Amino acid sequence: MAITAQRFPYFSVSLRSGIFWHFLEFNDQLPRIHVEEEIPCTAFAVNRKNEPLYRVILKGKRISVEFIHILTDGAGALEYLKTLLYTYLTLSGRQISSPGEIILPESPVSEEEYEDGYNKFFQKLPPPAKLVKAWHLPYKRNSRPKLRVVHAEANASQILEISRKLKVSVTEYFVSVYFFSLQKIFASGKEKSKSEKRKVLRIEVPVNMRKIFPSRTMRNFSLFVLPEIDVRLGTYTFEEILNSVHHQLQISADVKQISRFLSSNVSSEKLLIVRLMPLIIKKMVIASVYRGLASKRWTGIVTNLGLITLPAEMKDMVDSLEIIPPPPNPNVKVNCGMVSYNDKLRICFSNITESHELERLIFKHLTDAGIHVKILNND
Amino acid sequence: MTVCVNCGIELDDELKICPLCGKDPGYIGEQENITKNYPSEIIQLQRKENRRYLWELSAILAFSGIAVCTIVDLLMNKNLKWSLFSDVSISAVWIIFTLFLFVNKKPFILVGTTMLTILAALFFFDLVAAGQQWFFSVGLPLTIAAFFSISIIVILYNAAHFKGLNIIASALLILSGFCIITEMILDEWLKDAVDLRWSLISGISILPVALIFFFYHYRLKKGNRLDGFFHI
Repeated sequence: MAITAQRFPYFSVSLRSGIFWHFLEFNDQLPRIHVEEEIPCTAFAVNRKNEPLYRVILKGKRISVEFIHILTDGAGALEYLKTLLYTYLTLSGRQISSPGEIILPESPVSEEEYEDGYNKFFQKLPPPAKLVKAWHLPYKRNSRPKLRVVHAEANASQILEISRKLKVSVTEYFVSVYFFSLQKIFASGKEKSKSEKRKVLRIEVPVNMRKIFPSRTMRNFSLFVLPEIDVRLGTYTFEEILNSVHHQLQISADVKQISRFLSSNVSSEKLLIVRLMPLIIKKMVIASVYRGLASKRWTGIVTNLGLITLPAEMKDMVDSLEIIPPPPNPNVKVNCGMVSYNDKLRICFSNITESHELERLIFKHLTDAGIHVKILNND
Repeated sequence: MTVCVNCGIELDDELKICPLCGKDPGYIGEQENITKNYPSEIIQLQRKENRRYLWELSAILAFSGIAVCTIVDLLMNKNLKWSLFSDVSISAVWIIFTLFLFVNKKPFILVGTTMLTILAALFFFDLVAAGQQWFFSVGLPLTIAAFFSISIIVILYNAAHFKGLNIIASALLILSGFCIITEMILDEWLKDAVDLRWSLISGISILPVALIFFFYHYRLKKGNRLDGFFHI
């Protein structure tokens, strides 16, 4: 781990508080190695001095890394994990002659890996259109332990084949299934109040910005698109949802559209009044803005890390890859993460409610479509 | 291959309970949700029940005490004399105990209601006891000052990211402030003029101890990068 940590010096930082901003300070302490516990993604003691912002977790034959999102995104964390696996296997005596695109521990660290993509590609643009509040799942939240994770595995070839037949991507197909299941829950609800009826179903789909902008940064560089289904207009068939989601994702992930989101996210931190605001006030304002506005703008989150490939010499040593999405906020309640590897699509739901009806509807839809889905035992 | 009959989804063969419906995957029909209560929730339920039992027990003890004191006083003096004090004291202690049992997660309501209970008891003592009237001149301001000091400590404790010597140091400083206020109130009542002596000595003695505690606590956090710290 020490070898891998040296190759990723920008992750060797801890969070410190200044007068106006939090800042990251170099910290040569290695991340902690934890034994995996029942509940993943537990909080980091970020205020403790020299506390690394990521950790490595072990259980049996499973290696996990947990990162705070301020450090990097899913794509960056995956690169770290791949290098960690490569280092572990080579140190165990395994010969890996063609590591492919894996960042080798001995390779030089590029300046580009350090860069702040948000600031580099920022340009002042008109803000995106204002969004109405989204509908949220009506389920009661769990008492402790709040987070429960459902792990499932689907046949990647089957889902890819169906998606191709429908002329959409796997993400578009899965997001459509997600919307269709949400719509079923929405429709099955009791008499809705006026404010409830006004809302729309909206899903946050994170986008890896490195695929849109020419950046090799390893720091956090992701934004999101927000496809929506306006249930005020009536009930949609699955085909209608699929068509709408396909076009919405195509349009929203366009470089010009996503630049507007980037602009609106970065421009507020460039305002002099915001910069001069003491950190304690900033924290309060940001927390209330997030609670009151941002977290109410979408119904769910679906993050897809895509198809991951490993060198042939590593493939037989790595059975599966999985991403557990961060614990959802009290409004959104359920987050979903997925990743394809070795013809398996791993789907994970982080859920803080007493109900798993959403997961059940999604898996049922996939099963009925002829895709082999299995709920896994995580022990 | 195991398929949950309730959900229609295939499960890993090792799964004895379906994670989606929380039921036995092989059993159709009405059944209890097996995963409804996680152990921690069950423990919470037990704690809630235990709290209730403890409160009922404390009520029995308190009212027995009141009854015994009242009867003994009546038998011995043919009148209510000392039992008034003991009865009010027991009642106040029982109310405070009840507050600690049921509103312990709301520190400000707890501190506020405890203060009101103590003030009510002190007012009653002053009313019943013969002699000098002391409640409004001493009892009330001292109690308010004491609870105000406790509230500040509670606020600091909740606000502090690292709870350690910094809390003790702050408590010591607040204590020295409370000593000064106490002497002022007593001087005003006894001599009609404020002449600070012992409280200043105690305050000056406490100050270096508090500073040493602060030094030890925040020395550990030293090393903030100045450009980062003051970055706008």
